[in-house]
Amino acid sequence: MGKYADDEQWSDVVPLPTDEGGDNPLAAIAYSEEYEETMSYLRAIMAANEYSPRVLDLTEDLIDMNPAHYTVWLYRAQCLFAIDSDLKEELEWLNETALTHQKNYQIWHHRNLIVDKLDQCEGETAFVESMFERDAKNYHVWSYRQWLVRRFGLWDKGELEFTEQMLQRDVRNNSAWNHRWFVVNGQEGAAGVGDPDIRAREMKFAMLAIAKAPQNQSPWNYLRGITKKSGMSLAHLKDFAEQYASLDQPDNIHSSFALDLLADILVEEKNTKQAAQALDLLEKTYDPIRKNYWAYRKEQLGLPAAVA
Amino acid sequence: MAAAKEDGNDTLDELLKDKARIEELSSDEEEVFKRGNNDAANVGGGVPFPGMDQLKPKRKLEYLPPWLHDASINLFHDDLETPTSEAQQKTRAECLPLLTGEDTQGLELNIYGLPHLRRQKHTDFLRTTFNKLPAPYQVVDASRPWLFYWTVGGLSFLGEDVTQYRERLIETVRPLQNPTGGFGGGHGQYSHCACTYATVLALAAVGGLEVVDRKAMWHWLGTVKQADGGFRMAVGAEEDIRGAYCAMTVITLLNLPFELPAEAPARKAGLDTFTDRLGEWVGRCQTYEGGIAGAPNNEAHGAYAFCALACLSILDVPHKSIPKYLDVQALASCLASLQTMPEGGFAGRTNKLVDACYSHWVGGCWALLQAALSGGSSGRNSVKLDDLWSREGLVRYLLCCCQQPGKKGGMRDKPSTRPDGYHTCYSLAGLSAAQNHYSYSKEGQAVDKQSGRLIAAFHWTAERPTVGEMKALKFDEEDRVGFVHPVFVLPMDVIEATRRQFAESRL
Repeated sequence: MGKYADDEQWSDVVPLPTDEGGDNPLAAIAYSEEYEETMSYLRAIMAANEYSPRVLDLTEDLIDMNPAHYTVWLYRAQCLFAIDSDLKEELEWLNETALTHQKNYQIWHHRNLIVDKLDQCEGETAFVESMFERDAKNYHVWSYRQWLVRRFGLWDKGELEFTEQMLQRDVRNNSAWNHRWFVVNGQEGAAGVGDPDIRAREMKFAMLAIAKAPQNQSPWNYLRGITKKSGMSLAHLKDFAEQYASLDQPDNIHSSFALDLLADILVEEKNTKQAAQALDLLEKTYDPIRKNYWAYRKEQLGLPAAVA
Repeated sequence: MAAAKEDGNDTLDELLKDKARIEELSSDEEEVFKRGNNDAANVGGGVPFPGMDQLKPKRKLEYLPPWLHDASINLFHDDLETPTSEAQQKTRAECLPLLTGEDTQGLELNIYGLPHLRRQKHTDFLRTTFNKLPAPYQVVDASRPWLFYWTVGGLSFLGEDVTQYRERLIETVRPLQNPTGGFGGGHGQYSHCACTYATVLALAAVGGLEVVDRKAMWHWLGTVKQADGGFRMAVGAEEDIRGAYCAMTVITLLNLPFELPAEAPARKAGLDTFTDRLGEWVGRCQTYEGGIAGAPNNEAHGAYAFCALACLSILDVPHKSIPKYLDVQALASCLASLQTMPEGGFAGRTNKLVDACYSHWVGGCWALLQAALSGGSSGRNSVKLDDLWSREGLVRYLLCCCQQPGKKGGMRDKPSTRPDGYHTCYSLAGLSAAQNHYSYSKEGQAVDKQSGRLIAAFHWTAERPTVGEMKALKFDEEDRVGFVHPVFVLPMDVIEATRRQFAESRL
């Protein structure tokens, strides 16, 4: 009849078929026989709260058919822990599965549970890096990496260099920038960019990245983040911003982000008139899709309408 | 660097010429707003712009908006190519001909030359979701509640009557509800915040919420509330900001007590209510970029910005709760930067691609954010004064690039992708955000004195655009999407009916 119905090993289980709720359910899925059967055994097993090696086989089957099935993943994790299963073996299986189902919340949460329980992360950073070769901006993978760093204290174990490598490949990869921010500033009690040496190093890093491609928002945001977190005056960035956007050369602007920064620097200098000029350039010429936003910023300056 | 500057000088003359034209166009557009009811034939005709000679004669676009002007498109070009810039070039190339009207994909155009909203086609497309789905759909077996919500949500935004699905939906979701409270993705699946949110919204839309076991729901929600203030998506699952928004939505709509059940684990950490430490936890999700991450330390992402703003708008009136926990100016800057040029839609993250679903996730943030910024003053003086974003850009992107042409209908991420329920629902919600006005009433209170219910989110009003605004944004009445509640993403009247339904309910 089916894989499970025909199996001696499962003969003690009475499967629970899907309750569709009625004769005419909405968006009902015409499950394959295999899926329907496996699910009905899972329901029976879960109803009995069974944790056993065969549950691992059953959940593996279901995950193959539907990797987004969060219940199966959660139940599998409970089962693994309950029967004290070999978690390294689980990780090996996960490595294969992850390659086929990368964009999936569940698989990364599962990995997180397993590695946490294992209490060691050997090989994990390398595995994560292999994932980035397929998709260098995968949100779940980056979140997992951040968890790894925090959980195992990997702050100064090559993590900064790793972000450099990722940014070497694509200086516009904002996920890598975010990770770098986390590595520098995320540790509890760490001064991060509050420390003058670290701040100088990070500012230099961002500025070099900007020199490579001035119209790249990521390092500009990073630079802004540094000034904000460290409470430093924006004035230190004026010369730098003016290399890419100077009001003396309004027709020779190399980055809208430089112009935006310059506007804030001028506001800090209380030079609202020039700040308005910078915002005007953004509104009228260099960033027309955000016309309303720049107009709003100009309004915030509190200048009489005629000047703005 | 020096070389780059020289290149800049070479193109200076051309740039200046183009700039003058852009300014001309801009002032003309302002005129459109002011003139309001004037005949469309008077608008923008004969304004010169490069590329006019390439137009097909049947095209009715009088002019292109400034950001689609050649000069704007080619303003900045960094020589360094990376995977990000290559992907952006590709997207730009597939969108530009559709945005400029060079390729209309055979769609029927409105009087401004933009494609009409394919109301009937999108309706038909959404309705097919409710048919029996073939076996490959078993990969969404754990997210069927989303199909219910996207379908009835999308249909109701199009003005369709969805109450015809009431009985069938009630029947369908009954096996998804667990006796211990909440809804799972299917029969025998654990209760999950996203599945519960989607089911509750879908039931609200069809008027079927009586099937929800409110008391069990309250107990279950108590099991996912965390000591740090956030919510897990399910018991043992990940903690992220979706959980916070979904849980608070359900608590408010169903008028559940906001005290935690006695057995809730978070009580052991000293928490008494679902809202304890929640605002602080949401605040921890704001990143150095100003945007909001799914959880503390992760990357800022547009969808999570909506979850954060909507969650805070449930906690208290938006101009109090949002500035209390978030740096509003930094968030505004971050969200504004997500509107992509030249496409006009929104991306989800810095340096990522435009995608129609962010029309809601980011486009839907503006009503909430602007309510926070306006500090409680109600209403709008004029669209131009208050808006921080380009409604026109979003309307154009959605109508030109995201409608599937041909027989099928439905809406899509971008032209090279296929339509689906998710993108159709959130494109329509985003279109509603761009076309209509939502404002927060001055009289808004956080808590109902008598019932103790969190009522801050029930004080929104919607207003249709003026004829002049419709002209400026280039859509006809038949292209207009109905009102969508800015916090709960359902029609306004559905939310009001739900508020009343449970106004007197106790557990």
